[in-house]
Amino acid sequence: MGNYDRNKGYVAILGWSLNAIDAIDRFDRRYVIVAPPWAEEYANKHDIPFISWNFERLNERSMEIAQRLKEEGVDVAIPLYEETVEWAGAINAVLLDNPRLMGQSLLFRDKALMKRRAQLGGIRVGIFEEAQDKSDVIRFLTRVNQALLKLDGDPNDPIHLKAFDKAGCLGHRVIRTADDVDNIPEDEFPVLMESHLDGWEFAVEAFIKDGKIHFMNISEYVTLGYSVFVPATPDLEKWRPRVEEEIQKLIDTFEIDFGFIHPEYFVTSDGKMYFGEVAYRPPGFNAFELIERAYGFNAYQAMVMMFDPKTTDEEIKAFFPREVVDAKGHAGCFGVYPRRRVINELQIPDETENHEYFEFHELQSPMQNKVPKRSAFGTHWGLVYFFGDDPYRLRDLLKAQEDLDYYL
Amino acid sequence: MESRQLIAKLEYALEQLELARPFNKVRFRAAVLDVAARLAAEPGGIDILYDLAPRYDRAGIFADTPWDQPATLLPGLVRNTLEQGDRQTVIIELLSQVRLLALSRGAYTHAGMSAEQARHFLSQVMALNLDHLVAGPGEAMRVRLGRVGAAVAGVFRYLLENTPFEDILGRLVQEVRRIMSQRPLQVDNVKSMITQIALARGRGEGGSGAAAAEADRLVSQLFGPTATCADDPGVDAYLQRVEQLSPAALEAEARGFADAMHASGLVSDYHAVFLRRLVQHRGDLAGTRDGVLALALGLSSTGLDALRTFSELVCRLVEGAVQVGTAQAAYGLALLLESGQLYAAPVAPGLWRQIDLRLSPYCSELLTRVFGGGVSPSARLLAGTIGVLGQPLGIGQGNNPTCQSARAISVWAYNDPDYLLHLISRAAHFDEIVMRFEGEAISTGGMTAGAPVPLDTDPVSVLLVPHLDVMYRRMGELCAGRGDDPHRWINPELHGWWVGRECFLAVDIHTGGLRDYSEFLRRFYCSYHPFYNGNQPIIHPQPAGLAVTDSSGTFVGWHAITLIRVALDRENTMRVYFFNPNNDSGQDWGHGVTVSTHGHGERHGEASLPFTQLASRLYLFHDDTEALVPTSSPDNAELAEVRQMALASWAAGRERETAAQP
Repeated sequence: MGNYDRNKGYVAILGWSLNAIDAIDRFDRRYVIVAPPWAEEYANKHDIPFISWNFERLNERSMEIAQRLKEEGVDVAIPLYEETVEWAGAINAVLLDNPRLMGQSLLFRDKALMKRRAQLGGIRVGIFEEAQDKSDVIRFLTRVNQALLKLDGDPNDPIHLKAFDKAGCLGHRVIRTADDVDNIPEDEFPVLMESHLDGWEFAVEAFIKDGKIHFMNISEYVTLGYSVFVPATPDLEKWRPRVEEEIQKLIDTFEIDFGFIHPEYFVTSDGKMYFGEVAYRPPGFNAFELIERAYGFNAYQAMVMMFDPKTTDEEIKAFFPREVVDAKGHAGCFGVYPRRRVINELQIPDETENHEYFEFHELQSPMQNKVPKRSAFGTHWGLVYFFGDDPYRLRDLLKAQEDLDYYL
Repeated sequence: MESRQLIAKLEYALEQLELARPFNKVRFRAAVLDVAARLAAEPGGIDILYDLAPRYDRAGIFADTPWDQPATLLPGLVRNTLEQGDRQTVIIELLSQVRLLALSRGAYTHAGMSAEQARHFLSQVMALNLDHLVAGPGEAMRVRLGRVGAAVAGVFRYLLENTPFEDILGRLVQEVRRIMSQRPLQVDNVKSMITQIALARGRGEGGSGAAAAEADRLVSQLFGPTATCADDPGVDAYLQRVEQLSPAALEAEARGFADAMHASGLVSDYHAVFLRRLVQHRGDLAGTRDGVLALALGLSSTGLDALRTFSELVCRLVEGAVQVGTAQAAYGLALLLESGQLYAAPVAPGLWRQIDLRLSPYCSELLTRVFGGGVSPSARLLAGTIGVLGQPLGIGQGNNPTCQSARAISVWAYNDPDYLLHLISRAAHFDEIVMRFEGEAISTGGMTAGAPVPLDTDPVSVLLVPHLDVMYRRMGELCAGRGDDPHRWINPELHGWWVGRECFLAVDIHTGGLRDYSEFLRRFYCSYHPFYNGNQPIIHPQPAGLAVTDSSGTFVGWHAITLIRVALDRENTMRVYFFNPNNDSGQDWGHGVTVSTHGHGERHGEASLPFTQLASRLYLFHDDTEALVPTSSPDNAELAEVRQMALASWAAGRERETAAQP
């Protein structure tokens, strides 16, 4: 581990991510990684400060790790994954002597609770309900479409199903018909059901300290689950003041004093903003890498700075660039799914490889020829990265990737 | 896309890689490789990669791959990587070639790889891949690699442009001669190089200077060493011509083959065809057959006598082992006959056993997998056996990291051939060898499955090394915790009774510091230096350990060698002649310590250093406790000099001596 600044805080990172550890090891804070025992050997081999801990559900042993970190002199705990968010809450309640943090973290971990809390705070959300079994889903689908005054035979408006406590697209299903309902495995229940909002979906990465936003990025989805880029087009960026207001509402409602949040919103055609959900951890789809490419700062380091109680205003001011205007360009990535059922080889399409915005890809050659059928929003096979000056060209380029074959 | 944009992208990716901590290098490698490959295909792109070579090398592009230690790379594997490797591996290989060019010109330095070594390596790579150099990648490679194929062609063109072909040709010929002066068993690379030279010469490249003449001579030695096959007519046409030869012409033919074989160490396939015809058509040659055979093998009176004594055995060995594809066995056979080993009672019967040996299915499959199916596995193994017996110092460890196993095979072939034949037969038939360690039997049965198979080495090594590696490891486990270097006990038990029971060690294995070093050196002089040991020669080859250093004298690692003999050379310098299981013994160990492989009285396969220089890199040797003859004290000034040479190189920082253990 490199040198650290003794005047700054000592942070515990909950969860194992080499990218995060790499970035934090290069930063100026003392740190310790708290992660499951399978990572211990690797950590020791590479001199990564490590405490072994199994993050199962919170239980009576939770105090043990909190006490241990307190004795170690740790100032704050930072979650890397959805599963460690409640642990961070429980631990920080002890470290910062603030029991409220525990309850707050549970709001982030239960999507139904989260929506209720948002609704209570006067934030606009879609219609939602919890489902215990398939009959609940059928009823919700029918009631939503009745409310939309659909006639028999009209195509249904879809509804969305999400696991209560999973990150991002994991467990996300779109339901249109009774057949779709039949395909839901029993073990996915209970789930959260939401009405479909026809609109423009986007995500926000907000870095918060003392209840204030210090840096806010808007990530524009070209197609949910496929592609995203930062900073957004001027069309979306013109909503920035409204988005900031909404984020401030979230901060107030959820009583967020510090840290990093990653909410999702819809803007509907009539200009109303709907809250989707919010996570208290780094986003998936390598958004941190895209932010670094566009703005030049490391978002993991920024996150550590936001959590550290010893961070000064001067440091924050010096750290962040100005939003949008200081971006060196627009960075985007596209998640590749094979389009054919049977494939032989990886071949980057000529129009992609020759495009000046194309950076590089992380795709592997296929190990098997048959592509497993995709259920729900599956995991992509790897990301392709782009970088360029014109956000509209970048958006169209990302969109165009959806019609190209990477696997032949 | 314009190169300018690619350069900016590469710059960003490279910065990310440079910043990354060692454990996360792999995360950023893909980006650098991907952009670098595209840049390589652009005009001027490789120039930029060349300039960036020190940066990407130091940034860790090769971290956790074999390319991170260029000294261990094998030129012969490059082609395979290019033809079979996945996209990323191919790009790593290309960047490594560009980096080697930078190293060879001294643009920067990499520990363990001198500029000279880099030049040798590149010469061989270029020789082995002349077709890429001259004609670009083949169709198959282009199809498989797509754009990366263009990068392959680009990089090889770049290497070529930066070293004119005539220069390369001269270097290639030198390189082939230098390697062949060591008479390695494994000559596939050399043969491929000569094939590539032949093809290039066939296209009229390389001019007509001295290098070109040398090149042509090399080509003819391999492809057409006699008048009858000088035009490379093909086997059938050649056999027809041989039928027409008069007895005198037949003898001239035999002499032609023998001359080429002993001059180059290479055996033409026509030579094999010729020998087979001699032993198979017995009727019409009766009476003169052994004479012509002796001429064709280039035997002296010693070899001729062995041939006459074991005539039937020799014929069966030729029939069983010397074929198109294993022609090289003819050279091994000639040297085996010359060595007189067949007169040792168990050797000839041991070879008879091997002729009829039935290989286990596993052994057959293994040999076919490694060497291909052109020659039957049992013929392949018999040819390999003749090879190691005839050329015990020709063994190379290939890509196997354990040098002890290659060394063991070499000392048995040299010193204990019937024991080696025993091990080969057990491993080939039963997939098992058994040895005893301090009375306890150790079997390798069932323990070699899944072990890495050594590549780029001879059939006997391919068969035995996995067993010997297991054996060596197991013996190591049995003496774990004894508080001293395990070789003290392993070496005599693994190799044989003739390894000195006393083991002298220059370093403390716990601290790595020197241990009673002056006494260690004094003892080495008294044991091995003829001026101080009562003028005793080395009787049996003795295992020893060296601290190998790179060309700057920096410690690289511990390495196993065999001490073979100590003698004065023509300049009256006392030299140690030794066997190094490395594939190429000619190495620069820094501060003027350059291992010589020819020109200082070395026999083929021997490496040599002046006694002082070898002593300065030695850290372990064996001897028996009691000397049989009176010894005298070595020269203190010379000992002090050796000590200084060690301290200036591998022993730097190890000065704090631990007191000798009682």
